[in-house]
Amino acid sequence: MTASPLVVEIKGHSLDDGPGIRSVVFLKGCPLHCSWCHNPEAARAQPELSFDAALCVRSLDCVASCVPEALDPGRAGAAFVDHERCTRCFDCVPRCPSGALSIVGRAMTPAEITDAIARYQPFFANSGGGATLSGGEPLLFMPFAGELLRRLRERGIHTLVETCGLWSLERYLELVEPHVDQLYFDLKLADPAAHALHCGVSNAPILENFRAVCQRARDGGPPVLARVPLVPGLTDTQDNLHAIAELLRRCGAPRVELMPYNPTYESKAQKIGAKARLASSRFMAPAEIERCRAVFVGIEVVG
Amino acid sequence: MAPSSLTDASTAVALRLLAVTLQRLPSKRRWLRGVDGWIDFSIALTTEDGGVAHTVRFEGGKVRVQRGVARDVDTKLIFRDPSVLRALLKLPPNEVLNLLMRGDLRSEGNLSYLSLFELLLSLALGWRYKGLLAQARVDARLGREQVAASGPTQQRAAPTRERLTAEGAAGVRWLGEAHLGRYSLDDFPRLREGLERHFTTQPELCAERPLLLTRWLRANGFEAGLDAGACSPVLRQARALAYLLREKQPIIGKGDLLAGTTTTREVGVVLYPDAHGTLIWGELLTLSDRPLNPYRVSEETIATLHGEVFPFWIHRNFREWVRERYAAPLCQQLDERFAVYFCWKTVALSHTIPDFPLLLRKGVGGILAEIEGELAQTPAEQEGKRETLSAMVEVLRGLTALGRRLAAEAQRSAEQESDPQRRGELSEMAEVCARVAEQAPRTLHEALQVMWTTWIALHMENTNAGLSLGRLDLWLQPFLDADMAKLGSAQEREAYLRRAIDLVGCFYLRCADHLPLVPDIGNHLFGGSSSDQAITLGGVGRDGQSAVSDMSYLLLKVTEMLKLRDPNVNARFSVEKNDAAFLRRLCEVNLVTCATPSIHGDENVMRAIGGLGLEPDDVRDWAATGCVEPTISGRHMGHTGSMMFSLVAPLEMALYDGRHPLLRAQVGPRTGSAAGGDFATFEEFYAAYCAQLSFLVDQATEYNHMLGEAHAVLRPTPLLSALIEGPRSSGRDVTVGGARYNTSGVACIGLADVVDSLQTIRTLVFTEKTASFDQLAQALAADFVGHEALHARILRKVPKYGSGDEAALDLARRVTALVHGLFAQKRSYRGGPYTTGFWSMSNHVAFGGLTGALPSGRRAAKAFTPGLTPSPMASPNLLDNLRDVAALDPANLDNNVAFNVKYVPSARDGHARSVDTMAAYAKTYFELGGLQMQLNVVSSAVLRDAMARPEDYRDLLVRISGYNAYFVTLSREMQVELVERAEYGAGLGG
Repeated sequence: MTASPLVVEIKGHSLDDGPGIRSVVFLKGCPLHCSWCHNPEAARAQPELSFDAALCVRSLDCVASCVPEALDPGRAGAAFVDHERCTRCFDCVPRCPSGALSIVGRAMTPAEITDAIARYQPFFANSGGGATLSGGEPLLFMPFAGELLRRLRERGIHTLVETCGLWSLERYLELVEPHVDQLYFDLKLADPAAHALHCGVSNAPILENFRAVCQRARDGGPPVLARVPLVPGLTDTQDNLHAIAELLRRCGAPRVELMPYNPTYESKAQKIGAKARLASSRFMAPAEIERCRAVFVGIEVVG
Repeated sequence: MAPSSLTDASTAVALRLLAVTLQRLPSKRRWLRGVDGWIDFSIALTTEDGGVAHTVRFEGGKVRVQRGVARDVDTKLIFRDPSVLRALLKLPPNEVLNLLMRGDLRSEGNLSYLSLFELLLSLALGWRYKGLLAQARVDARLGREQVAASGPTQQRAAPTRERLTAEGAAGVRWLGEAHLGRYSLDDFPRLREGLERHFTTQPELCAERPLLLTRWLRANGFEAGLDAGACSPVLRQARALAYLLREKQPIIGKGDLLAGTTTTREVGVVLYPDAHGTLIWGELLTLSDRPLNPYRVSEETIATLHGEVFPFWIHRNFREWVRERYAAPLCQQLDERFAVYFCWKTVALSHTIPDFPLLLRKGVGGILAEIEGELAQTPAEQEGKRETLSAMVEVLRGLTALGRRLAAEAQRSAEQESDPQRRGELSEMAEVCARVAEQAPRTLHEALQVMWTTWIALHMENTNAGLSLGRLDLWLQPFLDADMAKLGSAQEREAYLRRAIDLVGCFYLRCADHLPLVPDIGNHLFGGSSSDQAITLGGVGRDGQSAVSDMSYLLLKVTEMLKLRDPNVNARFSVEKNDAAFLRRLCEVNLVTCATPSIHGDENVMRAIGGLGLEPDDVRDWAATGCVEPTISGRHMGHTGSMMFSLVAPLEMALYDGRHPLLRAQVGPRTGSAAGGDFATFEEFYAAYCAQLSFLVDQATEYNHMLGEAHAVLRPTPLLSALIEGPRSSGRDVTVGGARYNTSGVACIGLADVVDSLQTIRTLVFTEKTASFDQLAQALAADFVGHEALHARILRKVPKYGSGDEAALDLARRVTALVHGLFAQKRSYRGGPYTTGFWSMSNHVAFGGLTGALPSGRRAAKAFTPGLTPSPMASPNLLDNLRDVAALDPANLDNNVAFNVKYVPSARDGHARSVDTMAAYAKTYFELGGLQMQLNVVSSAVLRDAMARPEDYRDLLVRISGYNAYFVTLSREMQVELVERAEYGAGLGG
């Protein structure tokens, strides 16, 4: 693993990742492997080839440049790229006129990222917004994330981190916390076995870190907002939600955000040759969401 | 037989048939004459290759068809080829001018005759046209449904009743909670009923104005020196207008609190045959059946206009005066091809704001006394000055007479009224009207009445296109203060406030009682536009302090409740002097109404007009005219909408060696061709663009100048002159430059299309050399079909204006400076410089429809980007757009801009956060230097739904480029442009 993460994307303008108008940095690489992962292009730390069939104009200028013959003009749609054969040399990318072929994962220094975001600072200032680190898991690379947050803060930019919570608390407290204004902490499955099954790892360290950052918040550390992705049949069960609500009460977490399942991520997986492992293709009905919200008695539900 | 000679023979047969029909059937033959006798004229129909040529001669009630084009023919129609000529006989009459617009047909000679010929054609083919128009309506509906089906649709959500509140907003003295959230439309049944009438009444042509004027002029002479007893133009216009004001029907609308109407119809279309009125001649019999924005028209009106009015004005309008005086100059021919520029002076000159503060301070009588005093001191040898001052006196007396007649009518109605409450209202109106017929107003009611009476009279004199109302909050607040000071109890004050809202609401609805005349071609050029009577709120006063007051918030409340397209509400927001609560309220009203007000960065607009040599106090007294254009209230003839100018036409001409592809003619100087390899560097090509642009600027300003002369001869405006600073002391009418300040404003269209095209040429042809100029030219000729890779590279890989790319932004700065520099050197007929603005009404759609594929990647016939809005391809990030637009130098934007932002709040954001987000966009944009922004708060999915089910969306308000329109009144092309506009928010932003 490299010491510096790659940037998937800097989304300059977001109203969905914290208060006010924000810019969001998506860093590549995640220690979890959730079956419903909505940002599959950010799961692996390595750069990947993305192919957007909708943009392709079939100029085929790319085909000759591909030594391993991973590009096959005989195949239509997403199958044009054989991701198994692709050696990630990316020689095809500059030949593509339409941007259908692109590299996911760009090396940028914290200073470069800060410059790219700071241009929007007046909008942050007038809206109570700022910068959000997301991913992937942005704290997979603590020193990098810490430096980036520090630089943003120095420019007067409010900082927010969206995290899955799987990291070393000690390093977090040392490298990251001093530069964070707000923490969005994902809680997915309360049951350790279910978590291991669907997210690939045990949730024990995550829950421990959650308790710790809640305590820190009460002691003057950055405020924490728990966020629960609602995945039909997996995380939106009454059992799971009741267990999470109980955890929040025990930790004294005052607020929770529920994030209803969004089925539109499948095309993202297809572009990088990954499979969407969970195939539910519908949005949740308002009544289902309401049923989930009702579980969190005594806790403010946002979103 | 060759196809052309076949057409020649069949055309001859068709025309003879027409001749026989018109001349033999008495019911049709009577249309060949007017009150002055037979209408004699001749018209030739020919093709570009000359293969078809016939002349139809109307003379003494006879119709003859002759071979060939007669030498003395009045009007000549030149068809692109025989197929277009054949199409003419199959098209409904509303489509003929559209043939002109598309370049399929060219006309030489008097356009009124073309219009008359069309009328006679529709008369002869009457039954067939009914069928054609019915089919056209079906086609239009299917076309809309097709677009609606091309993407997701969504019914619009029920409007939220949630409102923010504001206690203690700065400048508010009487309102308490400044948003007046305690009231809704349900509290004002009078306004609710008026609104219902507004949306359910089909507009109707009104013959009152043209008939009265024509009668007076026919009796008293028009051309001095030719007609016995005719007087000088300014006196003639004054006397004719005074006659009109004395004879006009005094009407009091049902339940209205303000007396008087612009027309005799509930919603009337005002006719100005001295301007563009005769263009509707050809549609008279079919107006009520045309697919888009049909008008009602009575048999009596048709007979009056055809027999009595239009024949008198065939030659006496601005356009034809120039044609005859200057022998159809090139600059006019270019205008009439529609693809390069459009001069508004063929319609109106009076894009300005009268001196309402003066009227409110002195009353009509006070102004009259001032002018009479000046007249008494003016020696006899200053004949011109005495004439103009006398003209003002006569017309002001006419205005007084109108006021008195309204008072009498109110009194008469009161006496006949059985309902005691309404009787009381009418009696009060009678008193108000009687008072302000001469004396200065003392109360808000009196102030609004004198403004409205004067407004009617101004619109009897000046075309209802862009004449604007100015700073109503600032000017009316003293009357609110005075009224309030007289009231003792909180209860009385609350009752008064309710009454004040009712009064202001009546004023808004009255302003919406008339519409400009729109021939069908106008549906495409300026679709959905009303008269664009701009109101301006907020900003700073002449003293530099905040001008926000109770009236600012009261007017906003009325704007929010009524959601009218007209008056066109604009707001100045001073970052330095206005408080944040005001901006939040502006954004909230914008959110609730979907489209209004348009918001201006006060400091930046003042910076933009700062170079025009205005007094600093006057700069601070600017208000929007028509769409967005800054005018110094009561001191300034800015003709801010003097022309719509395509920046793209010179680009096409630079690509093709001065040839314009749609016009199929060598228009500009020969500066080399892209396909011919004549450009070795980008700078060489840029120089060719400059040369073509400069040529068109010369032409457009020359035509504007000639039309300015035409106004001075045909329609001096003594009433407007009496209400603008300058003429009352100088004795020079505003049409000859009598105003304190004179400028002419241009609307430059297609900035993003030009900048992005130049970027493509610079990047791909000269820097990267990934395509040769010849290859690019071939791709353009093929509309990119077969050139998909190049097209994709242009769209995806060339950094565009609005993306945050420095080079693209520099190019945008360079182009705006170039355009401004070329226009600023010119002087108009009235003296004073030209100003350049970057807004487009709906001409970005019309000009786009007449333009081939562009190096920017825009396909042929697609709309340009509106105003100075970046292309939707520039960036998915709205903040990049806002930063780039704000970074342009205001000095080059002195006729202001229209920057469209579509913002669709996500349901989870809620009302308050949506308002906060909009306010943050606006405030930051202004801090960064932005002049104006207009937010459309409606999603593409809802717009598609409105296309499918227009009957459910009659009140859906959208902002085009500077003005508001009801979405369902727009042409399909304009609806598509709105659907395709970049959409931010709702999680779609990137």
